[in-house]
Amino acid sequence: MIGALRAIGDRVLGRGDASITVPIFDGALKPNQILENAEIVAQFDAADDLATDGKAPLVCDGGRVLLPTDGAGTEVAHFDRPVTALCALPDGGIAVALDGREVIVREGAGGERRSTGPANAPFRSANAIACLADGRLAVTDGSRDNDCAQWTHDLMGRGATGRLILLDPRNGDAREAARGLEYAFGACAAGNETLVSESWRHRVLAVTSDGRRRIVLGRLPVYPSRLAVAAGGGFWLTAFAARTQLVEFVLRENAFRRRMMKEIAPEHWIAPRLRSGDSYLEPMQGAHLRTMGVLKPWAPPRSYGLVIRLSADGVPRYSLHSRVDGINHGIVAAAEVGGFLYLLARGPGRLLRLPLADLEKDAAA
Amino acid sequence: MTTPILELRQATKLYGGSPAIDAVDFALITGEIHALVGENGAGKSTLTKVMAGVVPLTSGKMLIGGKEVAPRTPLEARHLGIAMVFQENSLVPSMTVAQNLFLGQERFYNRLRGIYIAAQQFLQSLNFDVTPTATVAQLGAAKKQMVEIARAVLHDAKVIIFDEPTASLTPEEKKYFFDLVRELKRRGVSVIFISHALEEALLISDRITVLRDGRHVVTDETRNFDRARVIQAMVGRDLSKTLYAGRKEQVRPPGRRVLTVENLRMAPMVKNNSLSVFAGQVTGVFGLVGSGRTETFKIVSGILKRDFFHGGEVILNGRPVRYLTPAPAVRDGIAYITEDRKVEGFFETMSIAKNVYMGLLAKLGGKRQLVLNKEAETVGKKWVQALNVRAIGQDVKVVELSGGNQQKIVIAKSLVQEPRLLVFDEPTRGVDVGAIAEIHQLIDRLADEGNAVVMISSYLPEIMARSDRILVCRQGKVVEEFSAHEATEEKIMYAAIH
Repeated sequence: MIGALRAIGDRVLGRGDASITVPIFDGALKPNQILENAEIVAQFDAADDLATDGKAPLVCDGGRVLLPTDGAGTEVAHFDRPVTALCALPDGGIAVALDGREVIVREGAGGERRSTGPANAPFRSANAIACLADGRLAVTDGSRDNDCAQWTHDLMGRGATGRLILLDPRNGDAREAARGLEYAFGACAAGNETLVSESWRHRVLAVTSDGRRRIVLGRLPVYPSRLAVAAGGGFWLTAFAARTQLVEFVLRENAFRRRMMKEIAPEHWIAPRLRSGDSYLEPMQGAHLRTMGVLKPWAPPRSYGLVIRLSADGVPRYSLHSRVDGINHGIVAAAEVGGFLYLLARGPGRLLRLPLADLEKDAAA
Repeated sequence: MTTPILELRQATKLYGGSPAIDAVDFALITGEIHALVGENGAGKSTLTKVMAGVVPLTSGKMLIGGKEVAPRTPLEARHLGIAMVFQENSLVPSMTVAQNLFLGQERFYNRLRGIYIAAQQFLQSLNFDVTPTATVAQLGAAKKQMVEIARAVLHDAKVIIFDEPTASLTPEEKKYFFDLVRELKRRGVSVIFISHALEEALLISDRITVLRDGRHVVTDETRNFDRARVIQAMVGRDLSKTLYAGRKEQVRPPGRRVLTVENLRMAPMVKNNSLSVFAGQVTGVFGLVGSGRTETFKIVSGILKRDFFHGGEVILNGRPVRYLTPAPAVRDGIAYITEDRKVEGFFETMSIAKNVYMGLLAKLGGKRQLVLNKEAETVGKKWVQALNVRAIGQDVKVVELSGGNQQKIVIAKSLVQEPRLLVFDEPTRGVDVGAIAEIHQLIDRLADEGNAVVMISSYLPEIMARSDRILVCRQGKVVEEFSAHEATEEKIMYAAIH
């Protein structure tokens, strides 16, 4: 009762969960142009995830898994459905999620195992796979209501059906370690725990195998996506879009949001995007736009590119940005290979590369 | 050169032995608009207050039309033809425009209708669109400014001094105000114009004088200045000769985020302000007067309240907080060390020990029902030693201490609460050089111990020397962030002004 009254009060006063505030990009998240200046290694049509076997980066592009070389790619595996998550296994094999609904493990020795998730609640939107120390795989299932491609629908529908599933490829056992997540998108082993990105709650959680959770990094100004281990200790956290007060406002206004979802084409919703600027119908973004002869000093960013370097205890050390006037937006995956940080920018479909030594040097300066 | 209507020669004004202005030469020519610019504390206000008879000169001369004068009151200055329009206007809000215009000039028998007619005619002659029968409280900022100007002209002022006249005006009102100033110039009135907005000074003035640390730096025609030259003149000290060694060489990395301020609003001072403060760092906050920096941290500390509707969020250690009074903020580990120690910092007639003990009681709240004199003595003694307060004993009244030692007591009053987030607002204002060094060491030590430290300062060398990261506030919000490595005085000042 008190909670309900408080919720009503918050809604009237614009406080608490009903506030439309957004954290600022400052401190370690201070914007720069590093991501925008990154080297473009390859271009893809429908790349979705990035992994590494320690020697080279692997990219999934539609139903193919590619070993990208300059400008093109060598196919290392092919599947009949789009690959929505990719993980390189220690034995030289790969694990992939197909269409978000099935995980296939192709072992280095040649065997293949398949899993559709827990028997009573199969995968619907499997979007990231990570290897755990005990041989199991951590799979994030973004939503039980929407497919991977419909992540915007999940956000606008205030989805909270994401899960972390621990999958044992040896016996096919799949167990929910966490449920009720607001779009789980990205997992990574961290000691005895598994780090999970919860995109709509703008945070990273640490989940133990028995399901206990703690917040490692909260109140991010972005929608976090996949995580990767950093060689020097710590992690890389990618983010596919930045939060804005406009979107927070729309998320609060249920009637408006429902009507928008019903009547407007999804690509023109007031919602974060992986890329923008494709149509004059979409809400504008960027700064210093001249419209009808008037210089608009500011407009909310629809898409953004961000990668955060986290320390081992989850404190942001520095970050790489592609700002509203850039192109390398919608970063969904990162991997360290041979002294370089490889990044997948889904917005323009680019595989990017940055020298790690330079990043560390810049961060120390 | 035309004969100056107003001149100051070697003007010096000491406050407690410290010069607010030091041997300043200044000349104002008839019918010119003269801009006075400088950082906070550069001496602009003191210089103009001397001219307006608010404060007397300690040494030096003031001449009007070549004749030496020494106005001791604003009334004497007004009789000499000098009027000052303060930032906070001096009108009586409950009286009408006409009554305000003729305030102090009332005759034995006043006919209200006559005053209104005279005021109407006079305002029309100035082309001021103000209704003489309107009460001042009903007027907007620009119209109040007009009434102030009209009053100055009515008193036959030859020199009108404006202190930050555009601070509270909208862009449209500013344009109107500039037209008024040009009209005054056309009438042969000389105008002195103090502003932190350099663009305005460059736009409207004929000549610019730059003051720095109470000294005259340069006077030149406005056409010979550009923004960069003015800023250089405002901040270009020889840092090697000051207490501050320049920029930091060792910058502390940020720890966990202790404080997040999201879209904070408190009309009209704080406007959608967002910032973060991290553990283990000194976060310097720079901004000119009215930039909303103090108000932001007073809201965080529960001293001021944010807007009731959509006032934004304050998150302390990941938890949204909203303090209605400072006490819960103190209990949550926030210490705000005030910039105005005499009014807000201590009880001046109480002893050092009791003042420090008061800080502890504030932390304990209702848990401590009795005041224990012995405990107060112990606490006082400990902090007198810890902060090297120079006093005969902890029983000495705080009013009897020097400014630096008083400031240490204010700090001790907060440190006794064992805070984790410390906000130092102008920590070395009015503090002697020795105490400044000690306070700076203390700030460094607190950050080294893992506390989140915020240092609000108007003094750029202090910000540069102590901060690991620097936030610049302008018009109610943080507009720029610099790391200690990339910050320069020019960059910071540029961000604070534009």
